[in-house]
This record gives sequence, structure tokens and C-alpha cells, in this order.
Amino acid sequence: MKRIGLLLLSAALLGSLLTGCQSDGTVTQSPTGSNTNTASGDSILDPENPTTISFYSYSLSYPTMKPGMEHLIAEFNETVGAEKGVIVESVVDASTTQFKADIAAGKQVNIVQHAFPTMDEDVQKLGFQAYEDIFPADELAEHFSHFNTNALSLGQIDGKTYGLAFTFSTPILYLNGALFEQAGLDPNDPPSTWEEVYDCAVAIKEKTGVDGFGLAPDNGWATFGILYSNGAEVLSEDRTEAMFASEEGIEAMEMWQNLYESGAHAVGLDKDLQEQFMAGNLGMHIQSTSLLSGFQSAADAAGWELYGAAMPAFEGKEAVPVNSGSSLMVRGSSAEEIAAVWEFVKYASSEEGYTIITEEIGYLPLRTDVVDDPNYLKGFVDSNPIIQTNLEQLERIQPCPIWPAANATELTTLFADMVTQIITTGADAETLMKRTQGEMNKLMGA
Amino acid sequence: MQKRHVTASGMGSTVAAPRLRRLDQPVHGTGIRAALYSLKPYLYLLPGFALLIFWLYRPLSQTFYYAFVSWGMIPGTEPTWVGLDNFTRLLNNKDLGTAVINTVFYTVGLLPFAIVIPLLLSVMTNSMNKRAKNIYRAFMFIPMIMAPVSSATIWRWLLHPSNGLINKFLQAIGLTSSNIAFFSTEGVATWAILGITGWKMIGFGTLMFSAALTGVNPTYYEAAALDGASPRRRFFDLTLPLISPTIVFMLTMSILFASQWTFSYIDILTSGGPSGTSTNISYEIYTYGVANCDGGMSSAAALLFMLVFGAISIGLTRLSNRITFYDKNG
Repeated sequence: MKRIGLLLLSAALLGSLLTGCQSDGTVTQSPTGSNTNTASGDSILDPENPTTISFYSYSLSYPTMKPGMEHLIAEFNETVGAEKGVIVESVVDASTTQFKADIAAGKQVNIVQHAFPTMDEDVQKLGFQAYEDIFPADELAEHFSHFNTNALSLGQIDGKTYGLAFTFSTPILYLNGALFEQAGLDPNDPPSTWEEVYDCAVAIKEKTGVDGFGLAPDNGWATFGILYSNGAEVLSEDRTEAMFASEEGIEAMEMWQNLYESGAHAVGLDKDLQEQFMAGNLGMHIQSTSLLSGFQSAADAAGWELYGAAMPAFEGKEAVPVNSGSSLMVRGSSAEEIAAVWEFVKYASSEEGYTIITEEIGYLPLRTDVVDDPNYLKGFVDSNPIIQTNLEQLERIQPCPIWPAANATELTTLFADMVTQIITTGADAETLMKRTQGEMNKLMGA
Repeated sequence: MQKRHVTASGMGSTVAAPRLRRLDQPVHGTGIRAALYSLKPYLYLLPGFALLIFWLYRPLSQTFYYAFVSWGMIPGTEPTWVGLDNFTRLLNNKDLGTAVINTVFYTVGLLPFAIVIPLLLSVMTNSMNKRAKNIYRAFMFIPMIMAPVSSATIWRWLLHPSNGLINKFLQAIGLTSSNIAFFSTEGVATWAILGITGWKMIGFGTLMFSAALTGVNPTYYEAAALDGASPRRRFFDLTLPLISPTIVFMLTMSILFASQWTFSYIDILTSGGPSGTSTNISYEIYTYGVANCDGGMSSAAALLFMLVFGAISIGLTRLSNRITFYDKNG
């Protein structure tokens, strides 16, 4: 009896120990707007006792973008950060899931380089805060005034800014000049329609033996551009209904499927195709401008000329490119953290910040003022026709859909799986698109 | 042999008896001292129990609870009770069926790599001289100690659709004329994942079987050889029964862990694709929980997974008791 009593006693002791830990775990953070408009920069931050904040970036996981992004962070820490008392610690987040796991684990996650389609979901679930709720209104208005308004609207949900467009690009049709010439084609007269792309791809395959064209089915964004370019819509304007299985949508996917089955289309994942293009084994490749610096150095090293053209159009229609890239989403649990976050956000999207991002990575500058300023990017843009092509495409751009929060990840997966299946397995586009659209609408409750 | 055994246990009981009495003695003393003395063994056990309960049974019981709530696991947010909703959503998920089928595929497919090939390799190397044996076995063990991420990267390069050596080789010998995208072609990706995981596991099995073979008394083989038993006969009638505990152990390990062993390669090489066709149950649990921030559904899947594998492991333990043979004279 006595022993049982003692066992119970030790169990009770242990129990209290455990519950103690549990209650500790739940009070760590309260991501509320209690610090509304209190962050007035210099007054709270102390250069003697710098505030450390974390920055989760997927660009750091790409060899082609890493040096540029690291440079940006280091430059901030050495200049503005040192002066005002902010230290940015970077976290490599290759698959953009690390920040979720770390938020769930109660770690300090302040700034996330976040893609657009799942923004709404993460605002709802992960406690990201609106810029208007936490940053000083006057400074915010001044900062935003330098931005392209289209770019600003990309990160806004219901009138509030949850993400400041940060890195930004449109799809570029990259060309390998050497392969074009070997196939008897002129890289200075690049294909402008999908029909021409088809013919060029087949010609390159026949003459050189390497694949003529490559767009990976798992690209995750350019697909929307193909659908838009043929006049199809993907998500209704009120974001409650998927509508890509229209006649135009089906026709667009069948065009790509047909190109894939021509025998001149590269196979593999997006990363495989990037590597294939850099190795000089691919004639044309649709890819983000963020890979420009990587592609350029690969071309220089191997001695072939890199060309870039706008995204191809459907016959008789105008091409509608989409944007890829990211916004900066923020969260902070104290006035110091919020003030520190604001310093980094301001720097990263300043003239200096964009000069690094554009020159060293290849992303587009979203501030209209830096492009024409000879102190910053004018020289670079003038000497870089691919950046110019990209800037021209900005005028026709349509954003990728932002899936409704409740099921954004499931919707993204359903759509991506459908695209892969249509392109790589030769599945009937119409049947599969209608079925997937039905499933997605069921999830959205439409 | 028999005799020594009896003596040993006899000695054991004579040693144990006085110690028991000594432990009991203070019971006749004051109440507090008696209580402290009888507390002593539990105090010894306490740290072990505490760790076990804190790290194993506490999360386990939490998983039961989370399976019935909707929660994104974000600090500061509260779970809401949703009853069986997570299970309904789980069973209606389009990838669950594929995940279960693939889990079975990977589990069965890994058995040759965990048992048959390692068994043959360890028997083949066992008769070599010591130096050669160690060199061969070290080579076989290297894949096992390589970090999954680095070996996955090396395989990704080897199997690259356009730049990879394996595609170049297959085209050079004329087996195929077009590039094969091993990780993004339906039906091929699962085999690629299986092959890489298997390649990694061969070393583990070989090590276990080699250790088991070292424990086999060589006089049996000498006697069998004198009686004229062929090497084949010796393998089936001596080696197999004598290392049967290790075989059943490897069978258990392989069945229970196949899902986890394949996880890293699925994550790094295919992300479950193309179109979710190479995913397995562990990867789905991870996706629901970490990528979708859906703690409820992740826990529901983990719970179902645990029940199924719990039943399998009970079955395997029973099997182990029935068919294994322990050589008490070895």
C-alpha cells in the first residue's frame, strides 16, 4: 500500500512538473497589435545594446542568388544596423517551411521572404502583422510613395499591406545563342509566339541533338501566365471560385502538352532545367529573371552568348506575364523588435537595397526612382537588355492568384499536381482540369 | 555446459537472499526511515521514468488530443475541438490512398536490401581473411554513415535528366534515346527512391549479420564439413537457424522504419511528386503538420499510422518468439 502511495506521490510531482512546462510554453508570445504605431525608430533602439531580429530567406538557398542576398544583409548590419542598433540574423529557408516550424516552436521569427500565393493563409494562421498596424504612419507613407503602385497592391489584402513586394521578376524566355546559331536560327529574332517556339525547339533538337525548349511543369508561377495569355482566368476576382477549366484554359494547357510531346521539350524538375540550361544543353528556357546573374556567369564561363526575350504569346493575342518573387512579411513581439524590423525593411527596399538586388541577383527594382537615377541603376539597366525586357513586361503584368486562406496549401497542391499530370503523363487536359476545378471549388465552398 | 548453468543460478539465489533481508531490516525502525528506505528503489527509477514520460508518453498523449482539435500549433493560439473532423478530412484526402500504397511498396521493396542482399554479402565476406573482410565490410558500410542530404544530392546529380552520368550511360549503350527524368516521371520516381534508400541500408544489414556470424561457433561448421555437408546445406541448416534472431530483428526494423528511412529522399528528391505519386505516410504527416500548419490532421494521420504499425510490431514480436532459435551453447 505504502509503495503504491509513494508511486502516486512521485507521479503527482512529475505531473506538476509537466503542467508547469506546458503553461510556460503557451505564454511565450502574443502576436497582437498592442504596439500600434509606437515604433518610432531611433528612440527605442540602442546602438550599445543592439536588437537582434531574424530574417528567413529562400534566396539564400540558391547558389545563384546567395551572394547577392548575403551582401544585402551584411551591408545593412555594417551600416544602418550598426548605427541604429539592429542585427539581422539570416536563416536559410529553402522550401519556405522552416519559418512555419520555427513559429510553431515559439522561436523568434521576424521577417520572412514570402511568396505571394499563400500570403493570406499565413496572415491568418501565423500571426503576421499589417504594416499599417505597427509601423509609424508618416514614415510608411513616405516610403511607399517611391513604389510602383501595382507592386504595392500585390502584397495588400483587404486594404492593408501584409507584405511589401521585395524581390520581383517576370518570366523571361532565355536563349542559348550558340545553339540557336547551330540550328540556323537568329537569336536576335527570338520567337514571339508559341507556334514559333514550337518550330524553333524542333529545329534545335534536330540540328544539335539537345532539347530545344524547357519549362518545368512544377515552375509554380509561369503556368498562370500561359493561362492568362490565352484569355483564361484562374481564380474569380472575389477569390471564391476557381475558373481555369474554361475553353481558353484547356486550349492553353493542350498547347503546352503538345509542345512537351514534340520530343524537343526538356524533362525534369525546375531545378533540373535550370542546371540543364546552365550546362548549355537547352536551347530555350522560361525562367525568372532572378536566375539572370547565374545564367550569365554560366554562359560567360562556357563561352556562349545569353539572350533574353519576352514571354511568348498566343497567335493574335498579347502575352500576359505573371510575377514571381516575394514580399517581406513581418511580425514582432515587442516595440524594439518592430522598430528593428522597420529599419531592415526600409533598408532592403531602399535605393541601395534595390541596387544590390538588381545588380547582383537580377530581380527587378520596384522603386521607380532608382531605375532612372545614374547614381543607382541607370547604367546597369541601359547595358542590360534582359532587365529592360523585364521592365517592359511589368506594364502588362497580372499577379498570380492568392488562394483563399483556409485551404491555400491544399489548393496550391491540387493545381500543381494537375499541371504536372497533364504535361508529363499526357492525361486528357479537359477531363482533368474540370475535375480538379470541381475539387478546388468544393474546398473553397463555391 | 548444463552444469555451469545450474551453479550460476544457484549462486545467484544465495547472493540475493541476504541482500533482501538487509533491505527489509529498517522496516522495523521508525516510520519515516522505513518510508525513505522503501522509497529508495523508486527514486532510482524516477529519472528514467521522468525522461520517458516527458519525452515519449507526454507527446504521445498530446497527439491523441490534437487528433480531435483544429490547431495550427502557433504559440498564443488555442486549439478548437472538432471531434472526428480531422479523420474525415484525412480519409477524403486525395493523396492518402497513394501514400498508404507507397508505404507498403517501400516496406516490401526494402526487404531484399535489408535482409537478402546483406545476408549474402556477410556470408560471402565471412570466409575471407580478416584484412580483406574488414576492407570489404567498411566499403559496404560507408553509404550508411553518409548524411542523407549529401547522398541524396549525389544521387540527384547522377540521375540528372540531361547532365547526369546514368542518363549519359544509358544513352551511350543505346537503352534509351531520350533523357529520363527519374524523379519526375510517374512510376519511375518510386523505384528511384526505393533504390537509393535500399543502397543506403545494405551496409546496416551487412553489419548486423556480420556481427551475428561472428557469434556463431565455428566448431559446428567443422563438424558439418566432416559429415560431408555442402556449403549450401551448411548455409540453410546451420547459418540461417543460428542467426535467426538477427534476421527477425532486421525484418522488424525494416518493416517498422521503412517509412522513415525513405522520408529524407522523398523530401529532398521528389517532395512527394510528381503529382503526389511518390509520397508515403511519414511524408504526408510531415506535410500536413509542417507545411500546411494543420496540427490536427497531422496528429490524426500519426495516430492511425501508430495503430497500424503497433499491431504489426506486436505480430512481429510474437513471430520472433515462435521462430527464432537461440543457441545457448554458442
